[in-house]
Amino acid sequence: MTENAILYDSSKCSACKGCQVQCKQWNNLPSSLGKDTNEFTGSYQSMADLNGDTRLLIGFDEKAADGGIEWAFGRRSCFHCTDPTCVSVCPSGALSKLDDGTVRLDSSKCIGCKYCTAVCPFEVPKYRASSGVSNKCTLCDDRTTAGREPACVQTCPAAALSYGPREDVIAAGKVRVEELKTAGFDKAELYGETEMGGMHVLAVAKFGLEAHGYKRNPKAPTAAMIFDLMRPLTALGVAGIAAVLSVSFLASRGYERPDAAVDATKEEN
Amino acid sequence: MSGLGTTFGRGAMTNHFADFKNADVVMAIGSNNAENHPVSMAWVQEARAKGGKYIVVDPRFTRSAALADIYAPLRSGTDIAFYGGLMKYIMDNDLWQKEYVTNYTNASFLVSPEYAFDDATGLFSSWDDAAGAYDTKATWKYQVAEEKPWDTAGAFAWAVADGVPEFTPPVDKVALKDLTMQDPNCVWQLMRKHYERYTPEVVSKITGCPKEKLIEVWATFASTGAAEKSGTILYAMGQTQHTYGSQNVRAMAVLQLLLGNVGIAGGGINALRGEANVQGSTDMAVLSHILPGYFAVPSAVKHPTLRSWLEAETLPGGYWTNKPKFLISMLKEFYGPYATLENDFAYDMLPKLNAINHTHIGVFESVGAGTVKGMMCWGQNPAVGGPNSGFEREMLAKLDWLLAVDLWETETASFWKAPGVDSASIQTEVFMLPAVCHFEKQGSISNSGRWIQWRYKAVDGPGESRDDFEILHELFLKLKEKYEVEGGANPEQITQLYWPYETDGHADITKVAQGINGYTVADGNLVKNFTLLKADGSTASGCWIYSGYFNNNDAPNDPTQQPTGARGKEDPGNLGLYPNWSFSWPVNRRIVYNRASADLNGKPWSAEKMLVEWTGTEWVTNDVPDFGYKVVAEDGTVTYTPPNNKAFIMLPELGGRLWGAGGMKDGPFPEHYEPFESPATNLLNGRQSNPALTFGSAESVKPGDPEKYPIVCTTYRVTEHWQTGGMTRNVPWLAEAMPAMFVEMSEELAEEKGIANKDMVRVFNERGSLEMYAIVTPRFKPFDIDGKIVHQVGMPWHWGYGSGHATGAIANDLTPNVGDANTSIPEYKAYLVNVEKV
Repeated sequence: MTENAILYDSSKCSACKGCQVQCKQWNNLPSSLGKDTNEFTGSYQSMADLNGDTRLLIGFDEKAADGGIEWAFGRRSCFHCTDPTCVSVCPSGALSKLDDGTVRLDSSKCIGCKYCTAVCPFEVPKYRASSGVSNKCTLCDDRTTAGREPACVQTCPAAALSYGPREDVIAAGKVRVEELKTAGFDKAELYGETEMGGMHVLAVAKFGLEAHGYKRNPKAPTAAMIFDLMRPLTALGVAGIAAVLSVSFLASRGYERPDAAVDATKEEN
Repeated sequence: MSGLGTTFGRGAMTNHFADFKNADVVMAIGSNNAENHPVSMAWVQEARAKGGKYIVVDPRFTRSAALADIYAPLRSGTDIAFYGGLMKYIMDNDLWQKEYVTNYTNASFLVSPEYAFDDATGLFSSWDDAAGAYDTKATWKYQVAEEKPWDTAGAFAWAVADGVPEFTPPVDKVALKDLTMQDPNCVWQLMRKHYERYTPEVVSKITGCPKEKLIEVWATFASTGAAEKSGTILYAMGQTQHTYGSQNVRAMAVLQLLLGNVGIAGGGINALRGEANVQGSTDMAVLSHILPGYFAVPSAVKHPTLRSWLEAETLPGGYWTNKPKFLISMLKEFYGPYATLENDFAYDMLPKLNAINHTHIGVFESVGAGTVKGMMCWGQNPAVGGPNSGFEREMLAKLDWLLAVDLWETETASFWKAPGVDSASIQTEVFMLPAVCHFEKQGSISNSGRWIQWRYKAVDGPGESRDDFEILHELFLKLKEKYEVEGGANPEQITQLYWPYETDGHADITKVAQGINGYTVADGNLVKNFTLLKADGSTASGCWIYSGYFNNNDAPNDPTQQPTGARGKEDPGNLGLYPNWSFSWPVNRRIVYNRASADLNGKPWSAEKMLVEWTGTEWVTNDVPDFGYKVVAEDGTVTYTPPNNKAFIMLPELGGRLWGAGGMKDGPFPEHYEPFESPATNLLNGRQSNPALTFGSAESVKPGDPEKYPIVCTTYRVTEHWQTGGMTRNVPWLAEAMPAMFVEMSEELAEEKGIANKDMVRVFNERGSLEMYAIVTPRFKPFDIDGKIVHQVGMPWHWGYGSGHATGAIANDLTPNVGDANTSIPEYKAYLVNVEKV
């Protein structure tokens, strides 16, 4: 089967957040119904990071540069790795890999153990307290299997998002990077071609990976290997295994990591 | 609107969104199109993909600027200095489109030697200090070559036909010309002289934009003066919301004439309207000075009778010679059988203007004066959106009654429960009627590009919400009943109003559409377009420019079968014209003034961008020609009109106006003045601010002293919210996407004031004091204005205290209620404040 991918072109993105909101709409994800309960981040970015009710977030990173401003927009969501550590550690079978490269999350099977969050080099899956399960981008497999584009791609007014065969996406991304370099953006690069075995969301980073909040050389934590070995045991009893693992793994490794891709504090903007 | 109307003859966007892709250079100035018209970026990106350049000129580094090929900063309110400098650059470097300017503009016309501009006083000739206004007819005129009366035996026989009200036709005073353009009084020489002062050095000192950056932008945009190139300008409220906003727009229009960029694919002046249907609302005259289709509201002094209106308003040349046909057809639609030749087609029923300014600012002054006692706010929220909105809320409390019709309880509807207000002291009776939103009703909307698109109802509105037209319909019927039973002053204005807009006892918007399109009165058949309207009362049309949008007599009640409902995707010429998608006024022209897309012999300047072309025997076209291109005889024989220089048919001159008398109240050439509140001295002339601005001496304005309030402030919108926030702060997803009110400032100003990012700060002036978060960002930079550091801050105006998931301070509590000389649009974009840490 053809592998498909999304291409996000930060040099065309107008950071309108249409995709961020459309993702919530298509996937029936709520925002606060309270009055003035949303946090102000100190920039145009909202929220500070993905959360249980938010699978896609447009990031705003800015700095003064030679002769102007680098206002780097980023698209933070699941990258759908070819080697998805989250799938390896998922004890319940909620996470799986589809033939087209999509890392699918079936929340009806999720037991809320949070391992996926812990092992994801990007800390993308988030725990959704209201339903006790993990939540992350599914690449809209409910739409793509019906021949439609992911919701975020369809809504993008600036043609910054496209979806298609991964080979084509890589080719288009490389062409775009060369165009940007010719136009004077020397640090432009393509993200996702080889990272994590090759990802199914690629990004054209106009000002270089770091400026847009993309982690260079992401690696799965070695602890993940343990889970890989233990995976056959899940048949013995999902809840029991999950309880044991959560204590042993989380206690030894710690939950928060300082090198998360998006700076949740945003204090420096 | 008045800036474009004066220059080209029509006040609307010349091209349309899909056309941006045809541009070689797109300049967004006074428009943050990536944020406020996100879909426009699809077309801008197409232009860029073909090698086009995208320039953004803005006081702050916006999301548009982030995508631009060139970004140039400009202090708020200094656009005319920028354009004047650019025009001088073009003239000095011989970059103008000579064949175009010589033939399609008034460059060669000779102006009266009495006309003058004095840079010492900053005044044009004919300033009347006592009146505080120019006498625009005294010296702002051409030298006359000949006087041509209308040929009422020939082309103008209709004006004296049976049934047409009597009026003395105007005389066309044809101007003297010097095609060598050497005469010192010709427009070209006057223009060169006028902008001689606008050197790059002076412009840089005024705008704060470095000279090298100015030259880079100027050179890039001026490259579109090459005949085959096209450059387009995208503008919005950043141009219009100034005390010289109309002149900002005129300056752009003149610039585009110089470069031969009007009437061509990928060119034009594109007014990106702030609301989806604001073009439609101006077309339908939701303004105090015009009637539907852009003619003057009668004034009690100037037009007491129909005859005086026809004589004063009918233009001597160009297509506006037909104005009597359109006014009388409009009166026939307003008053139906009651409108007859004998009663001047019910002209007396039209309200007449007195000397009072009835624009938005003026209405609130009138509330203060006690002459306005009731108010209907219909989809408008002045408590948040009005200038000096704190003052406007005080005025709401003086009303006897207030009706708010809206989707939500707006701050206007709830002004009496605003924080700090003692509701017990307010006697205003407030009514709130819930309206449905656009998915819950059908009707047409007219986008910025003049495309009138019919939309259909998808779902019922919630609860007791009603279609605005249903509300209006029932209100009318109730008023009519009361006037019929109880009488009152001038009851016929209501009781005789023609109102056939219902089907089976229910309000029916398609009947309104038929009335707007127009029909022959005798049989009710829809007219094909406005060329068939008559001045004898035999036709009716509510808004002549729309005529043709709803003209299919085979299915008169079915919008899907009407031009406005057309959804064909054919695109002749691959120029994004899409002639079979909806209907574009006038007569489905997609790019107006398209005669100017070809040279004097009718050969397109650019073969790839052909709109019209003369083959030697006929015109071949991709767009509907906007000029007299053929004559159809009664027997159907078509005779093509060979090419001539009449490219701007809506002006008596038939050419675009570089020098524009006959429309502007504050000067025939755009001239730089400082904003009403400014930290800088006018470096270009001896007058600080626009002498003809409105409401400058109103007590409510409370001007700020630059010593006390040295910081320039501007207001704007962000992508995540819309207008005063009712439709977005009530949507949890959007409230979350941009949750709180903020002020943006430079790192330099923040350091000076001891402010850190995310701090709560106070922004204040004499009109108000607001608390909000600070965003400290390198995207704002201090300006070097003539050697002095001037800081600028900016605030979005989407927040208020009313309903919604996100509330916050009302930015407009600080904006001044002073107005543009021509339109009285408030100066929201440049005023003074101070800032401190809370």
